[in-house]
Amino acid sequence: MYDLIIIGGGPGGVAAGVYAARKKMKTALVTDTFGGQSLVSNDIQNWIGTKSISGFDLAKSLEEHLRAQAGIDIIDGDLALAVAKRDDGTFGVTTKNGRTLETKYILLASGSRRKRLGVPGEDQFDGKGVVFCTTCDAPLFGGKTVAVVGGGNSALEGVEDLLMYASKIYLLVRSEVLRGDPVTQEKVKGDPKVEIIWNAVVEEIKGGAFVNGIKYKDVKSGESKDLALDGVFVEIGLLPNSDLVKDLVALDAFGKVVVDHKTQQTSCPGIWAAGDVSDVLYDQNNISVGDSVKAVLNAYDKIKKG
Amino acid sequence: MAKVTIYSTPTCVYCKMAKEFFAKNNIAYEEHDVASDMKAREDMMAKSHQLGVPVIDIDNNIVIGFDQKTIEGLLGLGKAAAPAA
Repeated sequence: MYDLIIIGGGPGGVAAGVYAARKKMKTALVTDTFGGQSLVSNDIQNWIGTKSISGFDLAKSLEEHLRAQAGIDIIDGDLALAVAKRDDGTFGVTTKNGRTLETKYILLASGSRRKRLGVPGEDQFDGKGVVFCTTCDAPLFGGKTVAVVGGGNSALEGVEDLLMYASKIYLLVRSEVLRGDPVTQEKVKGDPKVEIIWNAVVEEIKGGAFVNGIKYKDVKSGESKDLALDGVFVEIGLLPNSDLVKDLVALDAFGKVVVDHKTQQTSCPGIWAAGDVSDVLYDQNNISVGDSVKAVLNAYDKIKKG
Repeated sequence: MAKVTIYSTPTCVYCKMAKEFFAKNNIAYEEHDVASDMKAREDMMAKSHQLGVPVIDIDNNIVIGFDQKTIEGLLGLGKAAAPAA
């Protein structure tokens, strides 16, 4: 029986692991990979204490810091799939690789995952012109025509990644405004390769062996239109990884876990949540770290009181 | 020994993870940068029907993405994780 199981290996999960180990709580951390969503970033410039770091190096430094702690069980290459509450108030965590772990407390730091469009062709052409990792695959679209779908920071950064490769980039925005940093907006708007299509909702992704077009609806005119292109980069935001506790804790309208922001406690005693999976206002690595530490210290207080 | 080829781009973190995994396990591999090598890109697309990296070829078995378990299986490394008692 563990005191604490931490679910997630992003900055929040790792920070929690370091603190829990130093408090000598009997702890396990379960994650598929380290680094969280920043893993695929080329260059992170706001990780405090470091001027510039790639997501890959951030992930390595997080893992190294965690592995330097004595007494914590690190279960990586696995994924927590379900959490069950037992009659005595303890929890069972089952994993993809068939483990069942028992624990008094849980910290959910499972982050979020990319939202998908949910239109015909999206699954069929995944990896065949439909791209979910822009930094990975942008270089494969040299001289090609592509579309980026979305209007926030990740979409704008996707366009930025593509500027040096693609010959034409359509940015399909559902509304009439771009969200995202003004600096990036200006860069994207000012580039002659980029054509912004407003009020565009994707209806279908088409192709043969690979993507060759997209159908979208102009929601203002109600008209459906076709674009011939070679790649579709889906950057429409995130979904919290809260499924594994959805029957145990209160979620908000977006599926994020509702927490007391003073302690990170959820509506279910014994479960804490922190980082992007919680209903925190700002999804930031630095905030996830602080909130996760808060959660562990609060759990530690409870253990001490018995 | 298995013949291992990885098709990658310089910005792909999962490619880096795969290469580190090979290095850690002393697996020799050939690498093709499909961002710059058009011939290799065509080979990759023909073999895998994929336009995304990494694609890994282990003795003509095509692995899409850094799927560590499948790669371990094809290379005869380790064992599948046993359920904890």
